[in-house]
Amino acid sequence: MGLAFDLLLAGGLLGLALQVVASRGLFRSVVLFIALGLLMALAWARLAAPDLALAEAAIGAGLTGALLLSAYRALQPAEEAADPGPAALPRWGALAAAVLSGALVAALGWAALGLEAPAASAGREALARLGESGVKSPLTGVLLGFRAIDTLAEVVVLLVAFLGARVVAEPLQRAGPGPSAPGSGEPVLTAPLLRLVVPMGVIVAGYLLWSGGHQPGGAFQAGAVLAALGVLLRLTGRLQPAAATSPAERLALVGGIVLFSAIGLAGAGTASAVLAYPEAWAYPLILAIETGLAVAIALPLTLLFSGSAGLRWRER
Amino acid sequence: MSHRGYAVETLNLAVAAFLLLNLLAGLGRVHRGPGAADRMLAALLFGTTTVAVLLLLAEAMALPALRDVALLLVLLAAILAVAFTRIPRRPDGAGR
Repeated sequence: MGLAFDLLLAGGLLGLALQVVASRGLFRSVVLFIALGLLMALAWARLAAPDLALAEAAIGAGLTGALLLSAYRALQPAEEAADPGPAALPRWGALAAAVLSGALVAALGWAALGLEAPAASAGREALARLGESGVKSPLTGVLLGFRAIDTLAEVVVLLVAFLGARVVAEPLQRAGPGPSAPGSGEPVLTAPLLRLVVPMGVIVAGYLLWSGGHQPGGAFQAGAVLAALGVLLRLTGRLQPAAATSPAERLALVGGIVLFSAIGLAGAGTASAVLAYPEAWAYPLILAIETGLAVAIALPLTLLFSGSAGLRWRER
Repeated sequence: MSHRGYAVETLNLAVAAFLLLNLLAGLGRVHRGPGAADRMLAALLFGTTTVAVLLLLAEAMALPALRDVALLLVLLAAILAVAFTRIPRRPDGAGR
């Protein structure tokens, strides 16, 4: 039965991916892409990779869908004026591209099938020495222990992406959800929905952060949930775009990176190396870093969605 | 695994496969529309179906962490609907 499920899932993924790029109409493609994200989460689940399924669910359901719908909204007047359809490429060009990419995928698959599994992989060694990392979850142990330098660089990349978006801010302003239409009142259900979802979301983010130490979860998933809540508050007008980044926002943007770097550098003196933790303190230090990182991941994502330098609570 | 446990696991996977088949059939609604709201509602229904499939997989694969994924999808489902309602209605009333 498992095989039947997997075949159905794989076939559905392939068909859906084809339709996302081939179907006419932007809105249809957006909806199909959202469905593709759901099936991807199922695929990660079937591959017994709940960490990736969590990340896919948080990013796909919380951020990508809202981002694509907002982009569709910004593009709508242009699309109404002229609907060129997806066929900008001549037919033979599309065919040649498809054949070449198919050949490339087949060649890569052929090469991968011929590879012999290495006797001693880094993954096995990391699993065997997980006890030294101070946490019980293999993924967190690798991300914040054995390969901490990669994680630090990734969070810096997110900050740089936000700064880069600010440099070219003018065209991005339109991509945000924009102010609500004057005169049209808020739907009745918005306020009760927010009162329910936002506190729940904060609890879930905290739960994911905490569970990162011993089961799937961690800073990235928690940050994505917080960012999704920021997107929700921005979409409903509770958070308004601001032209300047406030000192508190600046602190949140760089706080996680500074904390991570400081603890990492201190490792040169208190532990064996830079980015190593003193053994007795490994778990609390990792938890502190993850908390800082969750905020340092959530805020740039929300600000990137918002297309603004900062966010302010709406004056009531 | 006991005989009974194996039967339950097969049943779980069979129901999950049936739900997945449902989801794929629902893609027809995304195709035909006709309105944007029809397509969006289909996507929201896919989210609910995915939650059910994840819960079944959590049992069948003995991976309790998959329940967290389902929890996350339930929590974040509202965001899509809110983002959709922010799209202004088209003058002719029909979506794409």
